[in-house]
Amino acid sequence: MSGSLDSYLILSGLLFAIGTFGFLGRRNAISMLMSIELMLNAVNLTIIAFGAFVKPLNVHASVIALIVIAVAAAEATVGLAIVMAIYRNKKTPLVDEYDSMSE
Amino acid sequence: MTALLPLIPILPLGGFVLTGLLGRRYPEDAHRIAVWAVVAAWVVASIVAVMALLHASPFGTAGAGITLWTWIPANGFSHGFNADIGLFVDPLTACLLIVVTTIGMLVHVYSIGYMAHDPGRWRFFAYLNLFMFSMLVLILADNFLLVFAGWELVGLCSYLLIGFWYPRRSAAVAAKKAFLVNRVGDMGFALGIMAVWTQLGTLNMQAVFARFGSVPHEWQIAIALLIFCGAVGKSAQFPLHVWLPDAMEGPTPVSALIHAATMVNAGVYLVARCNPIFGAAPEVMVVVAAIGIFTAILAASIAFTQTDIKRVLAYSTLSQLGYMFASLGVGAWTAAIFHLMSHGFFKGLLFLDSGSVIHSVDGEQDMRKMGGLARKIPITYATMLVGSIAIAGVPPLAGFFSKDEILGGAFKNGFLWVWAIGFVVAGMTAFYMFRLMGMTFWGPSHVDAEVEHHIHESPRSMTGPLIVLAIPAAVLGLVIGFPPETGLLHQWLAPVFEGTIAASGHAEAAYNFFGIDGALAIATTALVAVAIVVAWRLFGVEIPSLGLRAQPRPDQVREISARRGLAALYNGSFHKWWFDDINNKLFVEWGGKLAAAAFWFDRTIIDGTVNGVGTVTAGAGGWLRRVQTGRVQNYALGIAVGLIVIAAGYLYLAIR
Amino acid sequence: MPIGQTLPFTAVRWDDVLFVVLAIMLLGSALLVVTMRDIIRCGLAMIASFASLAGIYVLLGNPLIAATQVLVYIGAISILVLFAIMLTQTKNAPTRLVFQTQAWVGAIAAVAIAAIIAGTVLTTTWPSTGAVAWTATSDIATMLFSQYVLPFEAVSVLLTAAVVGGVLLARREPPAGKEDRS
Repeated sequence: MSGSLDSYLILSGLLFAIGTFGFLGRRNAISMLMSIELMLNAVNLTIIAFGAFVKPLNVHASVIALIVIAVAAAEATVGLAIVMAIYRNKKTPLVDEYDSMSE
Repeated sequence: MTALLPLIPILPLGGFVLTGLLGRRYPEDAHRIAVWAVVAAWVVASIVAVMALLHASPFGTAGAGITLWTWIPANGFSHGFNADIGLFVDPLTACLLIVVTTIGMLVHVYSIGYMAHDPGRWRFFAYLNLFMFSMLVLILADNFLLVFAGWELVGLCSYLLIGFWYPRRSAAVAAKKAFLVNRVGDMGFALGIMAVWTQLGTLNMQAVFARFGSVPHEWQIAIALLIFCGAVGKSAQFPLHVWLPDAMEGPTPVSALIHAATMVNAGVYLVARCNPIFGAAPEVMVVVAAIGIFTAILAASIAFTQTDIKRVLAYSTLSQLGYMFASLGVGAWTAAIFHLMSHGFFKGLLFLDSGSVIHSVDGEQDMRKMGGLARKIPITYATMLVGSIAIAGVPPLAGFFSKDEILGGAFKNGFLWVWAIGFVVAGMTAFYMFRLMGMTFWGPSHVDAEVEHHIHESPRSMTGPLIVLAIPAAVLGLVIGFPPETGLLHQWLAPVFEGTIAASGHAEAAYNFFGIDGALAIATTALVAVAIVVAWRLFGVEIPSLGLRAQPRPDQVREISARRGLAALYNGSFHKWWFDDINNKLFVEWGGKLAAAAFWFDRTIIDGTVNGVGTVTAGAGGWLRRVQTGRVQNYALGIAVGLIVIAAGYLYLAIR
Repeated sequence: MPIGQTLPFTAVRWDDVLFVVLAIMLLGSALLVVTMRDIIRCGLAMIASFASLAGIYVLLGNPLIAATQVLVYIGAISILVLFAIMLTQTKNAPTRLVFQTQAWVGAIAAVAIAAIIAGTVLTTTWPSTGAVAWTATSDIATMLFSQYVLPFEAVSVLLTAAVVGGVLLARREPPAGKEDRS
């Protein structure tokens, strides 16, 4: 099992699905961000898996995964800063209240 | 000579325009232009008429016309349509011209005095001139479309003049009623004109008559019926007679001119003018005669019990018009025109007389509040007596000759039932006319006290026309109708009707006084005499010069009218045989309900559907609006669903 | 004593065992992240999932990425998340509902996504070599500074911008009246 690409891909697919459920189903904004991190990690796993099993992609996959991690960090920073800014206005971390964009 | 023809209608038209534009500023002189215009038209019309009657050139026996210009040039299509403004005069037109312009002129002069105190006189004279123009266009037109134009215009003028005192509600309602009932007939006429055009491709009357034989027989019947339909409306025959009595709301000169002498004759003129059309459809002639004579007896029966002097005369007009249509229907064409002319004169005289009577008793129109006026308004009384004698049919006045010709024609052409009913109606006519005379002029006075002491004779501008009209009322019969069937009128009008008379096979036997004709004449005269005597006994008479004196017996009248059997008749007659109530129930009430139902349908279902579309759209929009929650998670769900759909689709396609 | 390729007395390979254990840890902790009520525990579960993911990276022969995962994700991002959780806690936070109204639809969507991915993966023949290839760190470094130097620099700019933006966004507004205190 650990020697086949399919199992890693399916694993990452499941992780991505779990992340999707968490993003669509939780009320807390921070939970949504954590789910986003899960999804990004799933993508990372896919990239690394391809890098491991497909010879020409080996190094490229690693570099790309590295960059993805960096971008994820930046995005988490800004996202959490936004959530804290909104929290200061709305006094709640629940996204149900973040509906000022509708009428 | 034919160049004079356009002048006849244009003079009153000019009078209308000038009086209409300038009348308001010069109300005192408003009548001058109008009266002079009509007098001038009378002069020109008389010249033209005399020449046409004498068959002088350029009229000859067939008449002549002039085309002024092409009104609707639409000849370039597969079904070309061409209508001109053209005028045509033949002996028939000439007879009508004489009647219309003479009575019109006298009515105009009469109105100077009658409307002297009315602030709207300028409007009155303007409308009168417009009416003269319309009627002359109707008579002089040479094609059906122009006749229809004149037809509608006289209807309009009738509306304007009946409702002249429009602040009075009854007048406005009567005017509307007249116009609407006329419209029903006009619709039939319009359909008839359309039928003529589809069958023959032309609307020029002489051309239509020449080729009418080529039309299939069902179409001939249809066209004749539809044209008669128009005549029924305009000349107030049953069942469209209901407007004429109410039209008495208008001023008396209007009643005299329009509803006695000219407009109601338009129907008779139309049928007479279209005699080739009717001759080709004998079935329709029977219908014409039936409706005519039925109207005659219906109207005469109502006149028995009416108390308004103008109403009695209005029903009398209906009755005499019925006579004319009966005459047309049985094939006695010239007799009908003869009766038209004589009736125009004596009915015009009677109406103007009644106007004079009403003027003298300060506007009172109820005969029960009159009486004993003979001594007080002698000229009016004398002329009205002449008119009554004429209409009753006492020889040798005009009514006798014309009525006798009609009855004789009915009898000899085989329409015995028409003769019988007409015979009875002659007696009824005499009775109710002398009832009118008795209640108005003879016997004790029932006039209101404060009106009584200023009963005065009318001014000369009013009595003048009365005297002038009394002359033809008296002698017209002798002049143009004697000897019967070979008199001047027959000679003049023979070329107009000979085609139809020959085709119908009713050869006119020579008048034989010692044969059937004489017997009929004597029978009619006897019945008339009996009726007059009965009327004298019941309603009184006072003619000192003839030694006739009798007191009215109102108790006897009451007792007779309360007798079993007669009481029901009296009731029916008094309520005009409930025609107005039937019309009211049928058209106003039920028609109103139908209209209300249609309104409900329109408002609820049609508007509901249209509004419903809007409501549904708004509702759908409101419901769809809820998609925009403003929450990112809902939008993300949408993205996820879309992603799944696309990916699954691709997967499915790739696997397949 | 060197460890053999397989478990003693069986034919099960160590790699497979490790894979299964780490996979279960990963999925389990991920599920805990998205379903637990107490959000701090969610954060801790997230750390656990990151850790198991690092182990899986080692299995895939990529120690550098595994180390980066631990350093960045567990060492920085998770701490950041925990700080944010602390700073946005309200007094009555845990008593309310955890899940959205649309959570059921989200669950179905997640299952569908998983099914699609599984279907795609299983029905495609990947150009796989069948064995894990070990990635040398020096190769990564070479690639990073030659072929991927532009993305590298861009990422550094991005990080700078993220830092500046984060500071700016999260800054507390100075109270009115104390604006100019220079």
